[in-house]
Amino acid sequence: MKKKIMMAGIAGLAIALCSAPAFAQAEFGSPELIAAAKAEGKLVYYTANFAEVEQRVINAFNKRFPEIKVEMVRAPGGQLITRVKTEAAAGKLSADVIDHSDRALMLPLADMFMDYAPPNAADYLPEAQIAPHLWPRATLVWSIAYNTELVKNPPKTWMDLTKPEYDKMTGQVFAQSGGTTWTRIMFERQVLGEDYWAKQATTHPILYPSGAPMSDSMVRGEVAMGPLLYNAIYPKQKDGAPIKIFFPPEGAPVNPYATGIPKTAAHPNAAKLFLNWCLSKEGQTFMIKELGNLTSLKVAPVYPEGFDPKVVKVWFPKFDEYVKLHGPWVSEWDKTFGYRQ
Amino acid sequence: MNGIATLLQGAVQEGHAGKRRNVLSGAWVLLLLAILTFLVIYPVLTLLLGALTDTNPVVEGFSLSHLSITNFLTVLANPNVAEALFNTLVACGGGTIVAVVIGLAFSWIVVRTNTPFKGFIAAASILPLFAPPLVAGVAWTILGSPKTGLINTMFKWMSLDWRVDFYSLWGLVFVFGIYYAPYVYMFTSSALRNMDPSLEEAAEISGASAFSTLFTVTFPLIMPAIVSGMLLSFIVMLGIYGIPAVLGAPTNISVLTTYIFKLTNWSPPLYNTAAAVAIILMVVTGLLVYLQQKVLSGRSYTTVAGKAYRPRNLDLGPWRWFTFGIGVVYLLVVVVLPTLALIVAAFRKFMFIRDAASLFDMKQYSLMHFYSIFDNPLTLRSIYNAVEVGIITAVVGGTLAFAIGYTIHRTHVAGRRSIDLLTMLPVAIPGLVIGVAYLWAWIGIPGGLYGTVWILALAFIARFMPDTVKALSTSFLQIHRELEEAAWVCGKGMLGTIRTVVLPLARPGVLAAMTLLFVLAIRELGSSLFLYTSNTMVMSVLLLDYYEGGNLGKTAAFSLVQTVLLGVLIGGANWLSRGQAQGSVARTG
Repeated sequence: MKKKIMMAGIAGLAIALCSAPAFAQAEFGSPELIAAAKAEGKLVYYTANFAEVEQRVINAFNKRFPEIKVEMVRAPGGQLITRVKTEAAAGKLSADVIDHSDRALMLPLADMFMDYAPPNAADYLPEAQIAPHLWPRATLVWSIAYNTELVKNPPKTWMDLTKPEYDKMTGQVFAQSGGTTWTRIMFERQVLGEDYWAKQATTHPILYPSGAPMSDSMVRGEVAMGPLLYNAIYPKQKDGAPIKIFFPPEGAPVNPYATGIPKTAAHPNAAKLFLNWCLSKEGQTFMIKELGNLTSLKVAPVYPEGFDPKVVKVWFPKFDEYVKLHGPWVSEWDKTFGYRQ
Repeated sequence: MNGIATLLQGAVQEGHAGKRRNVLSGAWVLLLLAILTFLVIYPVLTLLLGALTDTNPVVEGFSLSHLSITNFLTVLANPNVAEALFNTLVACGGGTIVAVVIGLAFSWIVVRTNTPFKGFIAAASILPLFAPPLVAGVAWTILGSPKTGLINTMFKWMSLDWRVDFYSLWGLVFVFGIYYAPYVYMFTSSALRNMDPSLEEAAEISGASAFSTLFTVTFPLIMPAIVSGMLLSFIVMLGIYGIPAVLGAPTNISVLTTYIFKLTNWSPPLYNTAAAVAIILMVVTGLLVYLQQKVLSGRSYTTVAGKAYRPRNLDLGPWRWFTFGIGVVYLLVVVVLPTLALIVAAFRKFMFIRDAASLFDMKQYSLMHFYSIFDNPLTLRSIYNAVEVGIITAVVGGTLAFAIGYTIHRTHVAGRRSIDLLTMLPVAIPGLVIGVAYLWAWIGIPGGLYGTVWILALAFIARFMPDTVKALSTSFLQIHRELEEAAWVCGKGMLGTIRTVVLPLARPGVLAAMTLLFVLAIRELGSSLFLYTSNTMVMSVLLLDYYEGGNLGKTAAFSLVQTVLLGVLIGGANWLSRGQAQGSVARTG
């Protein structure tokens, strides 16, 4: 009898142990989806985000689903769109997931994507979506950063960046670089004032094509301070670089990505599982804690270091204005900052 | 009577043979033209179509209904394009002058003087070829930045009131010049090596000094090599993105390539405008090529004949240590300093260097960037792919270039001028734009070319055809006809003559051209950007990704990996080709 009970106990434990991952995996999709995804074994992932960052996302996904290989094609925003359009027109689109920072460029392609919603679709903010089947896989937030070795009297607000004492010490990503920067310059004009650009231009900022090289320049001391996407500079601070980052009290502009699965995807189940994981609480928590993203979930599971939701006001652009104002405002910005086109 | 009949029969047979030869040579020319049409004309036409419309030819279809010259007018009316063109001409023109001075000086020192450790100087003078432009740019930004550059840090440490600023047009001229001198060196050293020294001896016997012999006999005689090297280095500089991108960006100095890159990278991208700017670049290059033809036409530069000789060395006396010193300084500036800069960046955790003491603080150094790049599965994949593409490009491209070079320079077949012209066409279409043209042109081809390494290799073969054919042309121009004629007299056919006479004599040139092609293919970035897929990521694309990803440490670490790899592969090829070169000298001697 004793033996029987022990056997039953062992069997029960074994079942519990085996089903624990299955139970944990349920939040990423049905057992059928997971089985079909594993049978497909791989997916091709097109992204406009930096390869190195996305490789970390893939590694985290593979810890959960080691059977699914993710092959990545990374290109800057403009080039990625051209590649997607050309491949799709030639019937050779190999992407199973397309992930882009500029939602305005993705909107005209919305018909190309299949119906898809993650299991926790209802948890997402509706304003973060531009089409029902495009999802805010990543949500990036702006902050201000400075090199602590060079700045003894640091800025505390957006307005501080216009101070004459910071002349030739600041850097900026130029307006035309893509969706996230466009969100920031919209915020600057709509929230900080019509003349904010002109005031900031008087500090002669060095202009960068994207936040990544600018964050590197800040670590090296080529520029001392400036607005940066939190996820571009946070990993460097985490590694010990002489950098401090803060979210200014006037607001933190936020840019959600648009990510979807093309109708032509050769590995649709693996693609769904990958996106389900990215959009899940676990995936979003990983991206917030490790990469310095924010999230478009209605209730954030966690906040990035230094982000106090009671103090920081997140700012989402109105999507119709995001599309409509882009052309004229960017060319005004170029004129104000003397950026040559 | 019989005699006349035999003669007539002979004449008829000869007539048949002549006809057959005509048909064969016609077919040969057609074959070459067909290959060039596929590799060059079709993509260039797609590009032209792109420049004349505002549509993506693959997405909207090849339609001629929306043709307009709006893009051209917009581009021509834009003062920033004019400024970028001006900057381009200054940077590349200045860079070419520096490259010619350095390249020519080194080839003379290595080939014609008794400077000690010549082999070492010879190796030093081609070393910059290994460095991809982006790596060179990154190295010189670490060294020459006005704010944080190591050179300025060291000046400050030595209490010197000197400062350098490489974020300027002068910085570009200097870096272009030192990195593209090997092109001039490669052309001129082989010409000097193959030159008949009796011409110089004659000058000296007539009372000319060594110096005036150099400028009145030696250099004028190798003028095709100098002009070819000069033109090639200028043209290559025109198409370089990495160096001006890194050094020009902080002070907003645009050149045409960085301008085009901006256009394609903006949101939304302006490819059609980029294509129009690219056409302007093509026109500039076309003019240069025409100029070169004009300069070289109607003059004979044959210096390798059937006679046996060995190039002689000038005894410099104690001055040979001076020339040796020049070699050492060059090595220091071009190889040692940038490599040290890359090593510092690759091993240092962060590149904030407060002062010289912080530079030597060993606590700041670690292997973290190397761990990080090899942790990324793409790193090994990209190395494997790049080497595969490099080998395919070198072998297939080298063979094609030999066939084309021989047809252009050693035969009189009709149509060879068109072949020459077509070969030169891709010369300065910036890689980035022709990359899109290749994508537009070749993606629809049935058989699954897209997504394989072959599409990359074909793009590189087409893109670097001018470089390879030019590099080979010098070898062909120098082999005297009498050697081939001798083979014909002995009853060899054309293929037999090529196999037994031309190929062995031109072998050092062919191997050099293939090595050049290999290096160019491994370094090529622009045209790879659109043609690689998840399976065919190459090193240059990954390097740009590390750079754009804002991590100088990883960029430097991967640059070092790439440089070492190229060094090993090219060292091997060079060692092989040196053996061949010596072999062929022995045969002619």
